[in-house]
Amino acid sequence: MKARAKLWVKLKVTDLVVETAWLTLTEKLEFGDILYGLAKYSCWFMTCEGSDSESIINALDRVISLDSAFTNQNKHKYSLIVEGENRSSGEDGKEGVLRRGDLQPEKDFLFRVEVGSAELYVCDCLVSELESDKDKSYADRLNGRLDGVFVSEMRAGLVWRMIVRADSKDDAAEKVQKMAVTRSRREGLLLNPHYQEFEIISTLNLSERSRV
Amino acid sequence: MPDNFSGKVAVIQFPGVNCESETVRAVRAAGLESGIFRWNMPPRLLGEALAVILPGGFSYQDRIRAGVVAAKDTIMDKLSDFARDGKPVLGICNGAQVLVEAGFIPGMHWEKIDLALAPNVMSDREGYYCNWVHIRVEGNNCLWMNKYKEGDIIPVPVAHAEGRFVTNDKDIINDIRKNNQIVLRYCTESGDLDSSFPVNPNGSVENAAGICNPQGNVLAMMPHPERASWLRQVPEDISGKWKAKRRNACCRPEKMEEEGPGLAFFASLVKEMVG
Repeated sequence: MKARAKLWVKLKVTDLVVETAWLTLTEKLEFGDILYGLAKYSCWFMTCEGSDSESIINALDRVISLDSAFTNQNKHKYSLIVEGENRSSGEDGKEGVLRRGDLQPEKDFLFRVEVGSAELYVCDCLVSELESDKDKSYADRLNGRLDGVFVSEMRAGLVWRMIVRADSKDDAAEKVQKMAVTRSRREGLLLNPHYQEFEIISTLNLSERSRV
Repeated sequence: MPDNFSGKVAVIQFPGVNCESETVRAVRAAGLESGIFRWNMPPRLLGEALAVILPGGFSYQDRIRAGVVAAKDTIMDKLSDFARDGKPVLGICNGAQVLVEAGFIPGMHWEKIDLALAPNVMSDREGYYCNWVHIRVEGNNCLWMNKYKEGDIIPVPVAHAEGRFVTNDKDIINDIRKNNQIVLRYCTESGDLDSSFPVNPNGSVENAAGICNPQGNVLAMMPHPERASWLRQVPEDISGKWKAKRRNACCRPEKMEEEGPGLAFFASLVKEMVG
């Protein structure tokens, strides 16, 4: 069977890259009235082939939890999720979803300023390198060691989670793009479009759920 | 540390750079006064400087992307005015990354990001690479290189993980080529261009090792000339025409203090300023 796997990894301690990005965006680039929260995850999105979801997640978990190319138990927490195709119920009640690890990215919202009544969106932005062979190298690294499981597709990158004040989903996407993509010395920070690409992989309107 | 930079070459020290002292020494050896200019000193003092150098290292620990955080610093507003006035600005390694992320290089559209210094692409490894390479002088439209002649081959060390000049806009490369802005190219010891590793140590487009702005007063170069400013810094097993000089200096301390292949970058400034 085929299954999709997602691995999200985050530092257990303060991420100084995020702190620097936060200060640069809010103080130097003056996005302080738009940006309400910022976090960063190392992410791997995979398509795997194996006998069933259970064996896929167990094989992946065995390797990634001990391989410092993915996680270091001393400093990272992680979330490994496998979504199988032919499974009626998963461990967390959501159909076909299995999970391992001590990180829950779907609940990981850190507000750095008072929220008040602002309309807020959480945008997850995947930044990855153009024309890089890193994806293949990660897949090869896993395929040499996974027992009975084959990783057929791999996409690796950084996910920046940006909590922004916006009027709509489109407005949120526009603001996130302005903050992320470096167009000039005074515009954008998180990626250089000459060798990196950017995709908003999810947008969540926080007013539609209870705020943490 | 001097408080007055009038007539001096200011070497800007962002948090995390580590080549500021060597760079000041190389400038002084070339015959100009120089001092370290901390990034949080009053920006107006920078305006008094004769020239500005952004040295190598890891400004802001290379957080987010090499050079990008320093590129947003307040001091860069003053440096932008300084460079636009035609005054000399040199970025070495991390300094080059700052100039590219600030949009000073290639500089056809001032402060617009037209290039990147992306992670090295090497055939048998990834990440940081440190070694001596050869670079060839192309043209003579950059004031930082007026002591060199077109075709000169300079042995010089590189030490970086993100040194690959790259753009996703073909027009930019065409314009850079048309304006003769690629003033330094990686080459073999005999001066031939070879795009493969290790001659081109990072996969840089057009073998570019140094790119200047169209006016020729701002230069971003990945190799470290301050680490090749005295013969004693040149390795004994260097190939090419510097080999004999280095061998002759062996066991002769006074000879070892003679000029190395990189000092002429700083001496070019003397020629430009003093004549």
